[in-house]
Amino acid sequence: MTETIELALKTLEAQLNQPLETALEACARCGLCAEACHYYRADAKVEHIPAFRAEKLRSVYRYEHDFLSRLFPVWTGAKKLDEPTLASLTEIAFSQCTLCRRCTVNCPLGVDTPLMMRAIRAMATASGAAPEILVMLADSAIEKGKDPSFFKDLFLEQITEMEEQLRDVTGDPTATIPVEKQGAKILYVPLAGAHTILPPAVVFNAAKEDWTLSIFEAANYGVFLADVSRAKQVAKRIVDEASRLGVKEIVIAECGHAYASYRWDVPNWFAGQFDFKVRSLIEVLADYIRDGKIKVDPTAIPEGVTYHDSCNLARNGGLIEEPRYVLKNVVKDFREMTPNRDEAICCGGGGGLVALAEYADRRIAAGKPKAEQIQKTGAKVVVAACENCRLQIGDINEHYNLNVKITAITDLVVRAMRLPKPLPGMEAEHLFEGEEVTVERG
Amino acid sequence: MSDTKLSLDFKGLLCPMPVVKLAKAIKEIQVGETLEAVATDPGVMADIPAWTRSTGHELVSLDKREDKTFKFVVKRVK
Repeated sequence: MTETIELALKTLEAQLNQPLETALEACARCGLCAEACHYYRADAKVEHIPAFRAEKLRSVYRYEHDFLSRLFPVWTGAKKLDEPTLASLTEIAFSQCTLCRRCTVNCPLGVDTPLMMRAIRAMATASGAAPEILVMLADSAIEKGKDPSFFKDLFLEQITEMEEQLRDVTGDPTATIPVEKQGAKILYVPLAGAHTILPPAVVFNAAKEDWTLSIFEAANYGVFLADVSRAKQVAKRIVDEASRLGVKEIVIAECGHAYASYRWDVPNWFAGQFDFKVRSLIEVLADYIRDGKIKVDPTAIPEGVTYHDSCNLARNGGLIEEPRYVLKNVVKDFREMTPNRDEAICCGGGGGLVALAEYADRRIAAGKPKAEQIQKTGAKVVVAACENCRLQIGDINEHYNLNVKITAITDLVVRAMRLPKPLPGMEAEHLFEGEEVTVERG
Repeated sequence: MSDTKLSLDFKGLLCPMPVVKLAKAIKEIQVGETLEAVATDPGVMADIPAWTRSTGHELVSLDKREDKTFKFVVKRVK
């Protein structure tokens, strides 16, 4: 047995707990998961059935754990793990499953196929077979946490410039983007780049919120690798920052996997009770509108608007009605996709796939059901509260000629706040008029 | 004139795409050679130094230019 295989099997064994063993044992082969999966809906072949994918890991599990299977593998379809099998498992787990869990909620037995795909991802990561770019992105984030001094001055310089822009567009000379403010109520964790800092800063200032900006980004590529050690190191940066500043809550930017992981996984990884709670920016926006802390013009967005439920926010995160509440307060013509909410179809960009250029064709092909859903609404604007979803919908917009504009919830709220001057990129009076901002993607 | 072997345009790319494309491009040059890129996302000011530190490549320079773009030069080390 090679060292790679040994590591992969050791990682599988280490992950075996009741939920994973149940998933590995419980499938009734009914096939109901097929239609639940966006890969199968896009291209109805057997390889795209979640149960088929799961069987690949089950066959390895049987060989390791069933005496008869080890003696007579052909009888039970058991498979001894070898390098080609590990490579095939790795490819399946990273390119043919976005971990959206729609198969799980549609399975009569609740078989968690994505949990098995995560197990494979963990095996691949531990044995050095995972996609290199995901490892690099996770390690870069960890590096930032080890010594923030190497980027902090540059970061603060950017924030000072953004603060000037903020004051200019709001007409409020006292508007601020506080960083490392001790005792602030909210620690807002953005994604990298100005587009997830400036619009929320507008909102926080208008609501007169006691907030501070994290110096780190919410994205956590350790989650996509199913590597708890790396994911925990990435998360620890923000957990430590929140503890150090003594904030009451962490508010996560519009990002699916970051919200789901900080809300549900991080407390488990750290096995403790935090002094702060975790919320999504969308929940905060809903509260501000409900409590009258920000004023929005309900006629500000006249175009037909539809909302894409990010799997990590809705099905896996529980954020279902809050985004709709916000949108119905700023949009005149809101149209639901069908199905939606916890039954929403994955856009195809989850699970880290947007960063994996080698699987771009599969990702775009798997986005076909989402493209069809969008088309059926007739909406000209698609709102998604997740960066990966927005990037993916941008790609399927181009590929399937949807001719829609893709935007974040906060951007629409800021438009509806009718600022004295528009934020950069929001200069056009209507979303669908004026010059389009072209965003190239890998 | 620099001896940069590859010039890349990352303008319009949002995180994590500049790092994704940089990681791919670094393999197209030889050890000891440099590449340069221009980006518009301010996130590169933190992401690129973090990437070079975690991968062991050398960040030769990283500057904000007057046109509000960011130019960085990276040397392949291994």
